[in-house]
Amino acid sequence: MKFVEFKSVFFLLIAVMLLLVGCSSSAGEKSDTTKDGKVKLRFATWDVGDDVTLQQDMIDKFNESHDDIEVVLESYGSEYDTKITAGMGAKDAPDIMYMWNYPQYKDALEPLDSYLEKEGDAYKDNFYETLWNYNSADDEILGLPVGYTTHVVYYNKALFDEAGVDYPKSGWSWEDLQDTAKKVANKDSKVSGFAFSGKPDPYDFEMFLWSNGTSYVDKEGNLKGNLNSEKSVEVFEMFQNMAKDGYAITTEGSGTTEMKSGKVAMFVYGAWGLTPLKEAGIDYGVVELPAFKSGKSVSILSSSGISISKNSKHKDEAFEFIKFWTNEDANKERIGFELPVLKSVVESEQLEQDEVKSVFYSMLEQSDGYTPASFIVEDWSKVSENLQYTFESMLNPSTLMNPKEALNSAVE
Amino acid sequence: MRNITTKKTKSYQLVNRKVPYLFILPWIIGFLVFTLGPLILSLIMSFYNWPITSEPTFVGIDNYKTMFTADPQFYKSIIITLKFAAIFVPLNLAIALILALLITQPLKGMKFFRTIFYLPAVVSGVAISIIWGWIFNSEYGILNYLLSFLGIEGPRWLVDPKWALLTIVIASAWGVGIMMLIFYTNIKGIPAELYEAAAIDGAGPFRQFFSITIPSITPTILFNVITSVIGALQQLTLVLLLTGGGPLKSTYFYGLYVYNNAFKHHQLGYASANAWFMFIVILVLTMLIFKTSSTWVFYENEVKKEGKKGRRKNENIKRI
Repeated sequence: MKFVEFKSVFFLLIAVMLLLVGCSSSAGEKSDTTKDGKVKLRFATWDVGDDVTLQQDMIDKFNESHDDIEVVLESYGSEYDTKITAGMGAKDAPDIMYMWNYPQYKDALEPLDSYLEKEGDAYKDNFYETLWNYNSADDEILGLPVGYTTHVVYYNKALFDEAGVDYPKSGWSWEDLQDTAKKVANKDSKVSGFAFSGKPDPYDFEMFLWSNGTSYVDKEGNLKGNLNSEKSVEVFEMFQNMAKDGYAITTEGSGTTEMKSGKVAMFVYGAWGLTPLKEAGIDYGVVELPAFKSGKSVSILSSSGISISKNSKHKDEAFEFIKFWTNEDANKERIGFELPVLKSVVESEQLEQDEVKSVFYSMLEQSDGYTPASFIVEDWSKVSENLQYTFESMLNPSTLMNPKEALNSAVE
Repeated sequence: MRNITTKKTKSYQLVNRKVPYLFILPWIIGFLVFTLGPLILSLIMSFYNWPITSEPTFVGIDNYKTMFTADPQFYKSIIITLKFAAIFVPLNLAIALILALLITQPLKGMKFFRTIFYLPAVVSGVAISIIWGWIFNSEYGILNYLLSFLGIEGPRWLVDPKWALLTIVIASAWGVGIMMLIFYTNIKGIPAELYEAAAIDGAGPFRQFFSITIPSITPTILFNVITSVIGALQQLTLVLLLTGGGPLKSTYFYGLYVYNNAFKHHQLGYASANAWFMFIVILVLTMLIFKTSSTWVFYENEVKKEGKKGRRKNENIKRI
């Protein structure tokens, strides 16, 4: 009898719960306008700390100048992808969001081509062309470029001076890099000539294959004959040999930690390293990536854009905001955090003359026309996981798999 | 007749029982909305193919079929997780018990050590992961630096697949504070007379430990075994942040496998099926542990009712 009673209370509570859920969802539909009749837009950012403060200031400016729109910033931090994913699953995604992994989220994002047409060609042309490729999926533009980084070689000036070696110069080759690394490396003071990830992110690593005239997949997305091509094997053999020879080390993370320690002469990284390395007191220089003998110096892009949710009820207002977010003033405001993406801003701020930042722009200009495998392969996240495993098996010092065999088995 | 009386008592009971339910109502609502609701939803989801960004489609038991027949990583992750639990649970229990015994010693500065030992339990898992990442770094980490003083060349903790699992065990065992505290309060609660009596009978510290302390805290041991088995099988934070499942998937725990299926590969339905399988495994394991508990767990009232006559006599004497 006790049980029966408990059951009835239990069902009563379930009913209460369902009622609550019902209420909250109907309340959610109402909340896209504020009390004073403004259109309310939710904007999700992945940034943390000072970047968010800056973003809030910029949003305040936007809200002041727009009587009919109010943008609310939601800062998701490092759990960004998880929260966006969950939001999309619950049909409660923010109206506007930062975006980088377009192929994975394409079904939930609003295509922007028709909006851009209205703005005219001059508007679109002011952005660097390469960036549009990275902010699209399936030939549809899904986001406006906000920031980007190419990859460059950072070098520790102090270690070069100590070893009496000239700083690397643009137009160098991987052989030059190896020679330089050997010269700067010093067993006694535990200085390594070059550091690279022993567990590279497959997305980033593809640039080395491009640079040697190949890629993971062909246009149809086939790994076979591409990932295990001779030229691809060459790239992996080169990296494996660098680690085997002892003048270079493989790192557990990106290599920033090792570079910060002041015991590493060179490593490849994006613009994310600029501030942290400076704060760690490393006097560094940057130079374009080296090229393979028969190839050219080319980098993959890590780009960030701003997108509109397909489920947003106020897409025109949202587009108004993302236009604001990518205009010249906004690019200038963000200059301490992001490399500007507008040609006019790069010119007016004279970034082409900047010793450090110009390197990222020249890498950007010479990297046009490449499409990362993540934009071609349908289930990239799975493929990427397998690739990462394969790369690690070649570069991990306790396995050091033969590249040819490893890549052959990876394409199967 | 009988019906009427039962009805009467029933309605009386219902009124009488409303008040306590009212008090636990916040908890019940929280449980229903945030635990039971999602639980049921995930069970339903496990029969769907749901790529999150588009609509879910019903696939029946396909997710379960794929899991058992076409996904080698599923079995690998289970084996890794069980291996981890098999090393971690006994080790964790032993360390917690030893620490608890140490901090019950009436020595000066014990409060200080008690705080120190408990401190890691207060630190968030994310911070712990970052700290251990620095400690275990094979080139510049402090652990290998300290080992070098002993003339030992430390292993590449987070790079060598042979060592990585142990690395996670060590880092997890650092959070032993909560379990230690539970043991501690229990040990403190054992009546001092028992030890006095044992000492008079000539029992040394070891005999006292095995004949008094251990039997007295078996209910707590049971509780700690169960919670740490569940904790070990669900371990995620550390592998997510410290190793990312690597090196070479040697720490690709089941929790991470589920997490990646859901949030990296966007297979929400498949991940729900994974999670339900683990739920059942944990349920069965917990039930098994409970089943065995009757043979090795002693409750005080049990002793009073069925205990040996000699002991009962003693108790009677005490009461007088």
